[in-house]
Amino acid sequence: MTALNLEKSAPLPSDVESRAGQTMLTAMGICKQFNGIAVLTDAGLDVRYGEVHALMGENGAGKSTIIKIITGVYQKDAGAIFIDGQPVEINSRQDARNCGISVIYQELSLVPALTVAENIFLGQEPGRYGVTARQEMRARVRALAERYGFQIDPDAVVDSLGMAQRQMVEILKALSVDARLIIMDEPTSSLSNAESERLFETIDALRRSDVAILYISHRLEEVYRLSDRLTVMRGGEVVGVLQKDEINPKTVTTMMIGREIHYADARTEKKLFEDNVLEVSHLSCGKLLRDVSFKAYGGEILGIGGLVGSGRTELVKCIYGALRRSGGSVTLGGAPVSKSIRKNIRAGFGFVPEDRRVEGFIPAQSIGRNIAIASHDRLSKAGFMNAAAENRWVEDAIKNYDIRPKDRNYRVANLSGGNQQKVVLGRWLAREPGVLLLDEPTVGVDVGVRAEVYEYIRYLASRGSIIIMVSSDLHELTRVPDRILVMYGGGFFHQFTRQTATQTAILLAASGEHPEEGEALV
Amino acid sequence: MRKLATVGFVLILMLVFSLQADNFFNLRNFSELSFNAAFLGLLALGLSFVMIGGGIDLSAGGIVCVVAILCSRFSFLGTPGIVVVVFGVVCGAFFGLCNGLLVSRAGLTEFVTTLATGILYQGLGLLFAFRDTGKLSGTLVSMGITNKSYLALGGRFSALFGARGALKDFHLMTVIWIVLAVAMYFVLRRTNFGLRTYAIGSHPKAAEMSGVDIRRVKTIGFVICGAFAGLASAFLVANMSAANASLGSGYEFQAIAACVVGGIALGGGKGDAVCALIGSVFLVTILNGLYKFNIPTYWSYILQGVIIIVATVFDASFASFARRLRERRADRASGEEAMRL
Repeated sequence: MTALNLEKSAPLPSDVESRAGQTMLTAMGICKQFNGIAVLTDAGLDVRYGEVHALMGENGAGKSTIIKIITGVYQKDAGAIFIDGQPVEINSRQDARNCGISVIYQELSLVPALTVAENIFLGQEPGRYGVTARQEMRARVRALAERYGFQIDPDAVVDSLGMAQRQMVEILKALSVDARLIIMDEPTSSLSNAESERLFETIDALRRSDVAILYISHRLEEVYRLSDRLTVMRGGEVVGVLQKDEINPKTVTTMMIGREIHYADARTEKKLFEDNVLEVSHLSCGKLLRDVSFKAYGGEILGIGGLVGSGRTELVKCIYGALRRSGGSVTLGGAPVSKSIRKNIRAGFGFVPEDRRVEGFIPAQSIGRNIAIASHDRLSKAGFMNAAAENRWVEDAIKNYDIRPKDRNYRVANLSGGNQQKVVLGRWLAREPGVLLLDEPTVGVDVGVRAEVYEYIRYLASRGSIIIMVSSDLHELTRVPDRILVMYGGGFFHQFTRQTATQTAILLAASGEHPEEGEALV
Repeated sequence: MRKLATVGFVLILMLVFSLQADNFFNLRNFSELSFNAAFLGLLALGLSFVMIGGGIDLSAGGIVCVVAILCSRFSFLGTPGIVVVVFGVVCGAFFGLCNGLLVSRAGLTEFVTTLATGILYQGLGLLFAFRDTGKLSGTLVSMGITNKSYLALGGRFSALFGARGALKDFHLMTVIWIVLAVAMYFVLRRTNFGLRTYAIGSHPKAAEMSGVDIRRVKTIGFVICGAFAGLASAFLVANMSAANASLGSGYEFQAIAACVVGGIALGGGKGDAVCALIGSVFLVTILNGLYKFNIPTYWSYILQGVIIIVATVFDASFASFARRLRERRADRASGEEAMRL
């Protein structure tokens, strides 16, 4: 690795002027398939020195795939990449680093126990005979920070730094190995507003020093504030590149969604079960969820939209008891809802978590065990399971929810994603819960299973249950729920009915802009 | 901070023992106490490399056992004492290397690997000891050491260099232990290897992304741990002038306890060589003091357990307190910034 040389690192004005505006990276005609499914078709990107280039697109648009190809995590099937006009082959992360490309990861890759300087040079420490040259390390960090106008103490232990400062250290680490293109993937998702502001200043400083920056974000306001140009992707293709003065919310969201499909829904008004009512008032959970209130009635399917980090997962987890409430109250049919998951399940709650692999099922156990696990109260006596009752219960669930293979002893780890989700869902559906909380219920399941999931949800609602469904899938949000609440920054931001909801409007609301449709809540 | 607190505790303990027990505060007892602390301290010192790197080594006792037998047999060849000690260190390092390779190359978990090898090494010790007596059944026979120059290394300073200076009543091992503790402090805090040890203990994923070879650093840690166990064992045999295969069992847990009490977190990334030193002194002082008070052994076990729990709880609550303090400060800072904007 080429560590930064002190003498060379002094800013040379002529050098600086010569680079700005020149193209650093060009990628064109990039194609990539996974298992025969095209995720990128003829996609391209060009980033110049001294510009912040934003990359936007919905989930699944191919943003992260193209980034992974540029950084050598995936190999492209076709296409070409040029650095400074020269064709290059990037087959590993090391290749990318040698080309001057660095990624600042969402989950930071710093060692908390070490100091700023130690982190920056970890893996390529200066010094002789294995003894670290600490003075040299400090001096080089100071020189580097000064050059880019950062303020940081080289001896501060990373554990004691805020998130914005940690990102600054990450950026310095990248710069210390001569990074010329820095890719930032949702860098503000874990930052407070003041900290984001600091990061933007850092980015401005980088831009002035002619570093090329590729900025991926879902938040429109950030993109307007920061970016010089914007590439929009949809369905694995590049839909367009916008110049700074062409960027506005309506254009961007329309480009991201494409043709809007309206579902003229002629279904009659649904019957609501007034006695089954979930009332949430002033619910808070630390900084993630702030003073949220709503009412939901039996028979209703309530959709919760919003970006990752908007508080949507925290909302359902707080209601269920999986996260500790820091304020507010929840009542079901007038009775207060407990903070204990165990009691809530008995009171008729069910919860399908976002990441089923981590929180949803026990992989090494059978389909039967995984379905029965939430119903031991009904299937046992004095602490002993009634095997016959358990088997009947499980067989019914497997039949009703079409779980394949129809073998209750089959290990869940070996099932397909769709069937795994059916097991998790079936565990609750079998109980006919009064309130079913779903967090991203159709992530990673195929179209057929998806339709089945919607069918089960609708059936349950028609029997008088309350369904609360968190989703990032705009298509799903406009189709399944009767009412959609969009969250932003830990609270409710905008409300739609099924009639007023469009994908563009939901996306706009999730990014912090009030659309014309629906009703603003703040 | 944490170290000062533990040192304070040790001093208070010593004061209390000195005032209450008339046979505690004298040179003879201090020399004995420091020898015990040095033995445990050497084990803890080696272990600190593994523990700071986020690992655990349960085989230290086994290594002490097998190296003790090997050293005593080796000493019968009549080689100079220093060669026997070096032989012990090399043997210990070899057994440590076996641990390291099993963990890093074969991908076994550290807990299970060192649990297994610890038992295995103990077995090897027995094997070599039995060979010596020529009987397959029968009791373990202590082997009396006859090698004079080796025995001298286990004795006091005065036995080696004549009665001179303030150190004359202390054991050679004690002095070597202190010197090594300082040296290891330097190795951990000031060398690339030390830096990487903290890195793999604190955040292995980040260390890997930065180009640190985790398996290599881990293996070296185990080798150091084994070498220290070998060194401690070689000196112990010389001091006792005999070795038997029942030696060593239980020391691995005392060493872990010393590290934890000294402030080396079991999760890795925290503490240093001085923590291991202080922790060992602390434990040994308590055991010695209780002994001088004629307090039954069971109390010393109960107290050891309580101390480990208290130290762990203290560390955990101190960490969460520090975190809350930091968050509040960061909140205030960002609040002020927001006001300015």
